[in-house]
Amino acid sequence: MLRFIVRRLIITVPMVIIVVSLTWGLIRLAPGNFYTGEKRIPPAIEQNLREKYGLNKPWYVQYGKMLKNTLMLDFGTSLKYEGQSVGSILARSLPVSATLGLLAYLLALVVGVTAGTLAALKQNSRLDYASMALAMLGISLPNFVLGPLLVLIFSLSLFWLPPTRWGGFPSVNLILPVLTLSAVYMAYIARLTRSGMLEVLRADYIRTARAKGLSEREVVLRHALRGGLMPVVSYTGPALAFLIAGTVVVERIFVYPGLGTYFLNACLNRDEPLIIGIVAFISISVLIFNLLVDIAYGFIDPRIRY
Amino acid sequence: MNDEHDILDEPSPVEPALDNLGQPTKPPVRTRAGDITRPTNELAVGEGDVRTAERGEGEYIVGTSLWRDAWKRLLKNKLAVFGLVVVVIITVTCLLGPPILKAITGFDYAYIPSDSALTKSFPPFTAPDGSFSWLHPMGTDNAGRDILARVLLGGRISLMVGIISTIVSLIIGVSYGATAGYLGGKVDDVMMRIVDVLYSLPYIILVVVLLAMFGGKSPLSQLVLLFIALGAISWLTMARIVRGQVISLKNQEFVTAARATGVSTGKIIFRHLVPNTLGPVIVYATLTIPQVMLSEAFLSFLGFGVQAPLASWGSLANDGVQNIAIFPWQLIFPGVTMALALFSLNFLGDGLRDALDPQMRKV
Amino acid sequence: MSIFCSSKFRLAVGLVALALIIAGCTASASNQQFFGRAVPPRDNTLHYVSGSEPESLDPQIGTGQPEARIYMALFEGLTEYDPKTMAPIPAIAESWDVNHDSSEFIFHLRKNARWSNGEAITARDFVWSLRRGLSPELAARNAYLAYYVKYAQGYNEGGAFVRNKRTGEFLLAKDFKEDAAGKPEEAHTEPEPMANKNADPAAAAQMPKAAETEFHNFIKAPERLVVPAEEKARTKALAADEKIKKAVDAMGGDAEFVAVKKEDVGIEAVDDFTLRITLTQSAPFFLGLTPHQFFRAVPQKTVEQFDKEWTSPEHIVTCGPFKVETWKPYDKLVVVRDPMYWDAANVKLDRIAFYPGDDNPTIMNMYKAGQVDAVLNHTVPAAWLDVVRPMKDYMDAPEVAIDYYQINCKKPPMNDVRVRKAFNMSIDKEALARWRKIVKPLTAFSPEGIFPGYPQPKGDGFDPAKAKQLLAEAGFKDASGNFDPKKFPVDEVGIVYNTQESNRIVAEFIQAQWKQNLGLTVPLKNMEWKTFLDMRSKVEYKGFARSGWVGDYMDPFTFLNLFYTPAGDNGTGWWDPKYVALLDDANKELDPQKRYEKLAKAEAYLIDAQPVIPLYTAATNWVKKPYVKGMYPNPQTLHAWKFVYIENDPAKWDYGVPDMKE
Repeated sequence: MLRFIVRRLIITVPMVIIVVSLTWGLIRLAPGNFYTGEKRIPPAIEQNLREKYGLNKPWYVQYGKMLKNTLMLDFGTSLKYEGQSVGSILARSLPVSATLGLLAYLLALVVGVTAGTLAALKQNSRLDYASMALAMLGISLPNFVLGPLLVLIFSLSLFWLPPTRWGGFPSVNLILPVLTLSAVYMAYIARLTRSGMLEVLRADYIRTARAKGLSEREVVLRHALRGGLMPVVSYTGPALAFLIAGTVVVERIFVYPGLGTYFLNACLNRDEPLIIGIVAFISISVLIFNLLVDIAYGFIDPRIRY
Repeated sequence: MNDEHDILDEPSPVEPALDNLGQPTKPPVRTRAGDITRPTNELAVGEGDVRTAERGEGEYIVGTSLWRDAWKRLLKNKLAVFGLVVVVIITVTCLLGPPILKAITGFDYAYIPSDSALTKSFPPFTAPDGSFSWLHPMGTDNAGRDILARVLLGGRISLMVGIISTIVSLIIGVSYGATAGYLGGKVDDVMMRIVDVLYSLPYIILVVVLLAMFGGKSPLSQLVLLFIALGAISWLTMARIVRGQVISLKNQEFVTAARATGVSTGKIIFRHLVPNTLGPVIVYATLTIPQVMLSEAFLSFLGFGVQAPLASWGSLANDGVQNIAIFPWQLIFPGVTMALALFSLNFLGDGLRDALDPQMRKV
Repeated sequence: MSIFCSSKFRLAVGLVALALIIAGCTASASNQQFFGRAVPPRDNTLHYVSGSEPESLDPQIGTGQPEARIYMALFEGLTEYDPKTMAPIPAIAESWDVNHDSSEFIFHLRKNARWSNGEAITARDFVWSLRRGLSPELAARNAYLAYYVKYAQGYNEGGAFVRNKRTGEFLLAKDFKEDAAGKPEEAHTEPEPMANKNADPAAAAQMPKAAETEFHNFIKAPERLVVPAEEKARTKALAADEKIKKAVDAMGGDAEFVAVKKEDVGIEAVDDFTLRITLTQSAPFFLGLTPHQFFRAVPQKTVEQFDKEWTSPEHIVTCGPFKVETWKPYDKLVVVRDPMYWDAANVKLDRIAFYPGDDNPTIMNMYKAGQVDAVLNHTVPAAWLDVVRPMKDYMDAPEVAIDYYQINCKKPPMNDVRVRKAFNMSIDKEALARWRKIVKPLTAFSPEGIFPGYPQPKGDGFDPAKAKQLLAEAGFKDASGNFDPKKFPVDEVGIVYNTQESNRIVAEFIQAQWKQNLGLTVPLKNMEWKTFLDMRSKVEYKGFARSGWVGDYMDPFTFLNLFYTPAGDNGTGWWDPKYVALLDDANKELDPQKRYEKLAKAEAYLIDAQPVIPLYTAATNWVKKPYVKGMYPNPQTLHAWKFVYIENDPAKWDYGVPDMKE
């Protein structure tokens, strides 16, 4: 087990290097620069800027510096936002995205698992059809449509909730973004739970449990859920990582100062250190979440040995 | 652990996979259960075994009876039939609608009235003077263009993006997965490791850079770029599925036989193995189409999607979102149409999976 | 089957309900007097969306208007923008004198101006600030604005004077200038305007009241020639200019290159409260530049102590009416009234909360829902205007900004001025303006109705027949000599614009106009912002590229200057020394009205060459709550925050655009 974890952690390093190098290459290929703006700057000032940020050095020197920074986990200072280190930006924006993502996933888990389980238990009932149709709607309705709809109803018509802005935790500002973000995950989890449960409910050990005379409630909660949730567990790792990183759209709709906002703007601003920092951070978290999920898998499913 | 465990632990096969803009995903980078040197195939491993067991040995074209069975099962699934019907209706309407509409009302997607009093957004069924009129059943957009005509065009483009990008992803994914699966060993390790890396690459930057750098010279070439970009980012899961299938097939006797008679590696992969993976590939492709359409919509939201004067459902919905507080019909019609299409495609895909997947058949 | 039907039915019911709610709220919105909720905040705080996330709180780093709006709360310069007219009004400088040819300005600083840490602000702070802003190490992108200050450009570009080691004499710039007027010796004989005349009381009355200094003698001496200090660049520069090369070579081994130092820049603290700025040329508009963020004072000690991190909330020292309370990037910046500010008694608001915002519909939502009290300029989407414009919180006034299409004048067929004129003539700009609703059609290159007394020239009007005739003359004709669209290489032109809704609709409109009037379907292409800028500045586009310009200061020259050089923001490939000579001639003119006439002549020359298609003069387009007073839709929508206040009495609210007259 330990050896497995160590091996997985070690392999993370080259993978992050590859991801970061690819990203770096793409940024360098892209036209424009962080200082290109509506008003063109005189060549002399451009020269000063290139000097200041070491852009006039050969590419391999710059690449080497970037790699070194990445390995030291010190990504330097943002180019666009002078005086703000990438580290401090990550430290500031991560809690925002994490709060949003975790709350959304928690909500998705509670609602999704409940709906999925009920649907599986009452297969082919009205409830089953309705919840699966709703889930499908959740998957089919892009959140950039759902979010503004919620804003329109609850903020602009009813004036119940603020339409935008991060208000800390806990605050009413979180309700709409969390709902918007969780809809699609809710839908996936409901579907995953349903199909997982359907499979498990037909397994021999459940039949045995029923034969033993356990109540249906006990059968479901004690035995079936454990197996039926396997797909949900394996979905959780990547979903969490992407929740944290991939809230771009929701953060944009609700003007949240999170990772996604920074990432999108960094791309548009060609803010190289910030892009590299965020990409490295996201890759590392995806890899670590996957590792965690695999470990968790081992605990839930006794058949897996490391 | 061994492969058999793998088969047992597989979650339900072929769940919709990664939307590349941070949408929920089929697990990326999942080397489950600790097997690093041989990352387990993701999906539907069991299927192949079961099916080949049902079939005669050495038979590599799926028998017609299997397909007929699947069709029967599909027809029993009401949601899938609903999906199929709606998809057919929408496709036919989008294909035939524009010329008919043009003949009846004279509007096409790019028609802007030359009278500046008309270049604004009118609600559905409303004439410029406010009275009832059949002229614009979905209203007009900010430039006074007929939304119905644009929704029909949007459908053409969205479906085209969905289908062509899926074909691109099929071509890449199937060849890649089959090659990795068949060759196995170190090659397989490296190839699948690359897939893992690609999974953790945030695609937004790839797409932004691609669309920015090689930005289309015209809306049409932008569209071609979109096909490639979206196809290039949705082949990963396909590659895993095909690889898993191929691994489970490659030690079957018909392959051994082919090898023994000196058939070349390429031929074995593409003539003997790939056709046998058709079932799951079709299922997954059906589910990829709505995902690609959704991805295109997200790109439109971020400003990198289909370019004017062309429009997709996604870009129309995004335009609608911009004006939702004042002209809600600009969002409602494209949005509902898109949701309905995706909804139906997803149901159809689900139904196909249930019909083609013997594991699910017993459910 | 019935189950399935019911779920579909529910879906349908849901959607219909949703549509009804939406329709209901739109209907109710149109009955209101104001677009946003008009409920004054209980605390004395203004909530304002200032635009994109500020790049920095350092006024010499941040280049945009979003930042400018924030700096106007935190930092003060010698002068401040008048809240209504944008003309410079006294700030840290309480008065100023200008010499006879507008090439030297003397500012008299007030003695009670303080930093937020209580230390006094002196003339030396301004000298240090400007030198810092110009230093190549800081690499400030706005540094070019100060290039009118003598030797500022030389210092910022890393230049050097050329000295003859033996004689100690420097090469002088005037000997190498291609003087359009052809009177190079004029500078020699020009009397020293300020020297030796202080004895004469009558002259002293109009002479600047500042002591003579050694530095002043140096800076008033004829301008020295500046060449690049770095050797490679210098060799290249010399190779490009035969005359200078000859002069340098003539010196042989005696040539010595003396780097331009920060001490050489034409800004001097004559005493603690007297500041003298010497310019390299006559620049009557320079005073209008002094309120600009780049010229605001930054605290020497704090900057030296914390370097780049000096702007973090725990370190920052400011000099404006407000100081930083909290700053959470991408979330909000709260500034609070600074008791140390010299005019603190007249600052009316307790706090201002600045929110970043890029997306107009979102900003409008914040405003409508009551999260903010006022928003930045250009936030009301064009399509909403029919609804928002009649509301009494909509701000509509002309703006010192224009939109135009620039033309790649290098590539055929657009290298033919007849073709350029034809395309210009076949756009009905009146219709465009009517359609865009808030803008004024434009045929010239400076914004209309902004500069009082400026005799703006008129360009060609809408004339499709003439346009076809011109195109036929240019060779695109059929056998009978009429214009034939099929002969025109329409694939060689196109309209390029950066991805944005408003740009797209304008481009589509113009595309339709050309199709209608010329029978040509010009392809459209949009691009991501940075890619677009890169391509546009390199003149790599085909045909037309969208462009817009916002004036840096309140003078037509800020527009006409674009074509002063072939590089920079020109972006068309068109450049004419004759045009440059016309501009130079105008700026030497002392009489403001005559100067305007000469500028107008230059502008007429420019629009006759048609390197651009002027589209319209922009108008301000934003909303503020009626209870926000002292905030005006001035030409740049920059607000001097100390005049802004919140009025709780509805009788005194602004119902409509506030009165802009004094």
